[in-house]
Amino acid sequence: MSNIIEFNNINKEFKIFLRDKGLWGAIKGLFKRKHKLIKALNNVCFEIQEGDIVGYIGPNGAGKSTTIKIMSGILTPTSGQCKINGYIPWKDRKKYVKSIGVVFGQRSQLWWDVPVRDSFELLKDIYNIPTEEYQKTLDILIDILKIGELLDRPLRQLSLGQKMKCELAGALLHKPKILFLDEPTIGLDAVTKLAVRDFVKYINKEWKTTVILTTHDMTDIDALTNKVILIGKGKILYNGSFEYLKNKYANEKTITVEFLKEYDKIEVEGYNVVSHDKNVAVLKNFPQTIFNTQKFLQTITQKYEIVDFSVNTISVDEVLAKLYKEFNL
Amino acid sequence: MKSYFGIFKMQFKGQLQYRAKAISGLTTQFFWGLFKIYLYLAFMINQAVDGFTTSQMVSYIWLGQAFFAVSFISLPKNSEQEIVKGDVCYKFIRPLNLYNQWFFESFGEKLANILLRCFPIIIIALILPSPLTLSAPTSWVHFILFLTSLIISLFLSVTLGMVAVYLTIKTLMPKGALDIVNVISGLLGGFYIPLPFMPQSIQNVLNYLPFRYVSDLPFRIYSGSLDISTSIIQIAISLAWLFALIFVVKLLMHFALKKTIVQGG
Repeated sequence: MSNIIEFNNINKEFKIFLRDKGLWGAIKGLFKRKHKLIKALNNVCFEIQEGDIVGYIGPNGAGKSTTIKIMSGILTPTSGQCKINGYIPWKDRKKYVKSIGVVFGQRSQLWWDVPVRDSFELLKDIYNIPTEEYQKTLDILIDILKIGELLDRPLRQLSLGQKMKCELAGALLHKPKILFLDEPTIGLDAVTKLAVRDFVKYINKEWKTTVILTTHDMTDIDALTNKVILIGKGKILYNGSFEYLKNKYANEKTITVEFLKEYDKIEVEGYNVVSHDKNVAVLKNFPQTIFNTQKFLQTITQKYEIVDFSVNTISVDEVLAKLYKEFNL
Repeated sequence: MKSYFGIFKMQFKGQLQYRAKAISGLTTQFFWGLFKIYLYLAFMINQAVDGFTTSQMVSYIWLGQAFFAVSFISLPKNSEQEIVKGDVCYKFIRPLNLYNQWFFESFGEKLANILLRCFPIIIIALILPSPLTLSAPTSWVHFILFLTSLIISLFLSVTLGMVAVYLTIKTLMPKGALDIVNVISGLLGGFYIPLPFMPQSIQNVLNYLPFRYVSDLPFRIYSGSLDISTSIIQIAISLAWLFALIFVVKLLMHFALKKTIVQGG
């Protein structure tokens, strides 16, 4: 499969104005303005292949949305080359945007005070979709997103979840080759989140749509894709499989042990005692210790009498938190 | 073109559903019109000023009120939100020209506003007793010239609205931008004080500016205070201004949007 998105040494700088604090600072700012250059993206390079779903992750302010905006032709980078679907997004904007769909989770692209169907019909005109094809696509979208009865209501009367489903449908009416989703599940309830994920999977499989998704919800990534790009402070930190990231940290276990009686001191070979209170202790394995239930029990029961124990593997969110910490984000 | 017509239709339809807004606007404009007419009647003491008769003044005011949406410069309805909050990014991802998207939105909105409000005011003004009554147009030719000029005025008004959009992009202060454009255009265009009341020397200058072609020329033509040949010449000037302004604002907007940054996620 060929690369549909190529990002080469993309830099984006923003100029922000600084002001000293207080009234005096405000007055000084009237005459002399100081500014600072912020590097939102720093030599960003990556490639995305046709038909992939790629998770684009990173903490707040890392440059995710800036990247999405450059990819959708909204922003012009300060330097660097980018080719998407054969176009340079910000140069061939009008031609290029016909082949992409974008959903920004926190903004709306449909018209506020008219029924959703009217918004869709306007999109049909804007993208010049033949009536027959439009009807066919719309039927499929209605069917998977279950938005049939929402179409005749004005957007302002819909709930957040209903709105998001309609936004998704709106972004896909012209069957784009690439779909950018910027935090599509933000603020959605569990059921709607699942529906959105199923939908993304469906269009990726059936329409071969390439999907680039930014999110803070790691379960989104877990459910949708194995390919992630991690960005922090404007730099690409990791580009590869999500499984690898998880395994790197999944070895770390937290074991809570309840003892029969109170011991003064607890020492287990290969484990760290994180906390110890009365007859309950929390242990963590050393990075080099591979956790094994049988071996662990043997070691600990040699010295102590125990009542119960439980083992916790770290969650996906914790993996990410660790990762951010490791990269000093 | 089909897509721009679609955008126009969308705003037109959207605007038509706000009936209460239209009724309240209508009422305000009607009473404001009465107030202005009585004010100028008191000043004129039943005498013509520089050949501008009281009945011409009354028609001038009524038409100004009926076509308030033409004289009043406004931003496209959602542009404020789009520019300040960054929703404009969705305009960028359409395979369309940004300027044209706003232009046709604004046009649809204004036309709906005009159609909702002009007929009731005109009908009431026609049946009011003298001296408050709106006179019939001087002649058929005048009436046709009036309509032509009014259409050009409508487009000029939308274009001046785009100047306000441009200023909003530059300053991120929609209210300030709109106020600047409205005060200048209203004052120099005869919206606040009918131009015939201004000294001839000032009027001579204002003839060269675009503003009087927004809110003065069509109503002057209707009331017969300009003869036909002058009317035609001035319509030609207004058309020239329209094209010149569209060109300049489009150019300015092009450069402004090149530098646009949409911040935040």
